[in-house]
Amino acid sequence: MNNSNRKILVCCGTGCLANNSFEVYTKLKEKLKDTKIAVQPLVKATGCNGLCEKGPVVKILPDDISYFKVSTKDVDAIVEKTILNGEIIDKLLYYDTNEKKKLISHKDATFYKHQQKISLRNIGEVDPLLIEDYLERDGYKALRKVLFEMTSEEIIDVIEASGLRGRGGAGFPTGSKWRTCYKYNNFPKYIVCNGDEGDPGAFMDRSIMEGDPNTVIEGMIICGYAIKSHKGYLYIRDEYELARKNMQIAIDNAKKHGYLGENIIGSNFDFDLEIVRGGGAFVCGESSALMASIEGNVGEPRAKYIRSVEKGLWNQPTILNNVETWANIPPIISNGAKWFKSIGIENNSGTKVFSLVGKVKNTGLVEVPMGTKLRELVFDIGGGIIKDRPFKAIQTGGPSGGCIPKEHLDISLDFDSLSNIGSMMGSGGVIVMDDTTCMVELARYYMEFLSEESCGKCTTCREGIKIMLEILTNITKGEGELEDIELLLDLSETISNASLCGLGKTAPNPVITTIKYFKDEYIDHIVNQKCNAGICKKLTSYYIEEEICIGCGLCAKKCPTNAITGIKKEPHIINADICVKCGACFTNCPTGAVKIGGVVVESKN
Amino acid sequence: MKVKINGKLYNGNTGETLMELAKRNNIYIPNLCHKKGFEGQGRCRLCIVEINDGGKTKIVSSCVYPIKDGIEVSTNSDKIIKIRKNIILLLLLRTPNNDTIKSLAKEYNVDIHYKYLDNKKKENCILCGLCVEACDKLGTKAISLVNRGTTKKVSTPYDDASKDCIGCAACVEVCPTDAISIDDKNGKRTIWNRTFNLVSCSICGKYFTTYEALKYTDDKLNIEKENQICNSCKRKEISKKFKESFKNTY
Repeated sequence: MNNSNRKILVCCGTGCLANNSFEVYTKLKEKLKDTKIAVQPLVKATGCNGLCEKGPVVKILPDDISYFKVSTKDVDAIVEKTILNGEIIDKLLYYDTNEKKKLISHKDATFYKHQQKISLRNIGEVDPLLIEDYLERDGYKALRKVLFEMTSEEIIDVIEASGLRGRGGAGFPTGSKWRTCYKYNNFPKYIVCNGDEGDPGAFMDRSIMEGDPNTVIEGMIICGYAIKSHKGYLYIRDEYELARKNMQIAIDNAKKHGYLGENIIGSNFDFDLEIVRGGGAFVCGESSALMASIEGNVGEPRAKYIRSVEKGLWNQPTILNNVETWANIPPIISNGAKWFKSIGIENNSGTKVFSLVGKVKNTGLVEVPMGTKLRELVFDIGGGIIKDRPFKAIQTGGPSGGCIPKEHLDISLDFDSLSNIGSMMGSGGVIVMDDTTCMVELARYYMEFLSEESCGKCTTCREGIKIMLEILTNITKGEGELEDIELLLDLSETISNASLCGLGKTAPNPVITTIKYFKDEYIDHIVNQKCNAGICKKLTSYYIEEEICIGCGLCAKKCPTNAITGIKKEPHIINADICVKCGACFTNCPTGAVKIGGVVVESKN
Repeated sequence: MKVKINGKLYNGNTGETLMELAKRNNIYIPNLCHKKGFEGQGRCRLCIVEINDGGKTKIVSSCVYPIKDGIEVSTNSDKIIKIRKNIILLLLLRTPNNDTIKSLAKEYNVDIHYKYLDNKKKENCILCGLCVEACDKLGTKAISLVNRGTTKKVSTPYDDASKDCIGCAACVEVCPTDAISIDDKNGKRTIWNRTFNLVSCSICGKYFTTYEALKYTDDKLNIEKENQICNSCKRKEISKKFKESFKNTY
């Protein structure tokens, strides 16, 4: 076997690390050292490969073999069989649930086939700590191009023509943001990277910072050169320890190699970057609160009637973009606006990274062209719902977004289509829900989240969310009234109209959309005192349908409180007094004989 | 700069907020967190108005909105009244026994018989932040807004007796809802978990401030005063002097 150009890439993203991928990486290195091979293959620890569900991931190049769910026990076999003898280890291959077969290369998997990677292009392929890896994949070429061949106007023209819109949530055109800031002759100007990803279930910015920090740095320097700024800040939430570490190493290495600091690669342009640790407040993802936090003040938003491109950080013109937006800048400069515009759909060019989580088979990080259909994301890439249960809804955009029911499964995933139906793109978090999700409880959950994470500055957001949470809690306890639904909508209107910042204005979205698309569930909770998903425990009871039960006894076996009794092959009975409503019988029954009832125990016995 | 408010044209100055322009022209916009001498904060949300800017209508808070030429403002449209009523309701749910909020609720016909209203609640603070602004302006910075979300409150660090507080009661002075507990008794003042000795006026003998507050201002102004005179005696003294100076002129 020729090992001179062989590479073994071990995913060391957060998800895989949690499953001991670093141990796999070190053991692989040790094992290879002990093995007599003339030319040692290169072993690299990379960033996230996206399919976190099936981690740790080990890829062998150029053979293009991908192993999933690799543990330290598999290391010997990988070296002895695959590296030394070119044999493929069948049990470590990826099983594609859509194609119903095992695959040698991950690239053939339905999960990866539909994807197109721009901002994630290097992740999983490079060692994030080595600037050489980035340079090998055309890193800092775009920077060289702008520094020596382009003027500020030319750079801004390209970004504007590419149609890139801010990937942080609102989708504001990046080029026009840069142009406005460029026009102000007020110096110093600042560049800020928003790395305060806070939506529950979202981790795309984290993966980029961990897996390809140089692309963010390059994007920021390009913008700095375009608008004549010499200082940038990376605001990274404190919980993202690995992201901060990798980012700092990348900054230090970039300085050493002359890509940051004074006289960047001999161009006379100076630019410096500094990491600011965020305290982990959700509201600090809002641009003006984030800037207040960098300045050392309480992270409260301000009214943005004067935009931060005019008066931002320390009241100076500031460009703030999120991590994913920055990661798109170098490829756009290198490949041109036309190339970027050719991807995606009109007014929504390029790709978008989604973090696909919830009740979906393939959870992970996905980058698809804008305009991809939701159905494709959930059923092709995501592989459908776990245990093939019925799809109920997806939630996009985190607490500011909304729920999308199955009627809208064919919606195009882009900024405009999503906001048209009351949801929003947000940072790209997609939570998939099946029939065991209660939509009232979901709305309540988000209100609870926001009651802790709202900054509390303005009356409508702080007090409005508090009372909405109270009303929703009552409904989930079976103490709601029909008027409460109208009241919730009335309060939502006030909060979205009168709140100070974007977070407050969008805070009622989960409530508004669940009422819009799942009003029946609200009514069920209030009038019928029943939670069909079996989530609101006060409104749930389980019973066994006598005609369907085959008496297999699985439910009784799974019941943690021994509440189910019955003779083999005869219908079983649930004792409501002992039942703790955990739902184990419901999810485990092979014939669907276990039914969910309301507050009153429905039983024929 | 010309701004139309409720159908009438007014001349505005560059940099002026909508609230300032309205106040200058005696147009009433309800507000709780705005005060002369303090910059707009946009916290209480009561001052929201509807503006039409080149055909686009939007709701803005007038205390922080810098006026633009040609905008049309409505301070009392049906939509604004409806939302404002709800804002007052939200404040009332927070402070059901506060007189300021209760009278606002009455003014706007907000239904007080509301099932989520807890009449036993003793809260009076609406988190307008004026006390914090006042303390900040004075330079003492003894209190601040702490926590976030629904647990936000005004407090000293760790709720302890603040070593920075001088007991000047500027916070009490600016509070729109009388929410700050202050107790002046037997020559002592208790405020923000700390007790101060009060100073009596060398003319009328009334207690009027704390030693710490006097020392703080004297140090700042770099002066040394022998007699401490209260504000009302100070006014009397000044008017006496004023009168005498007139006597000498004529």
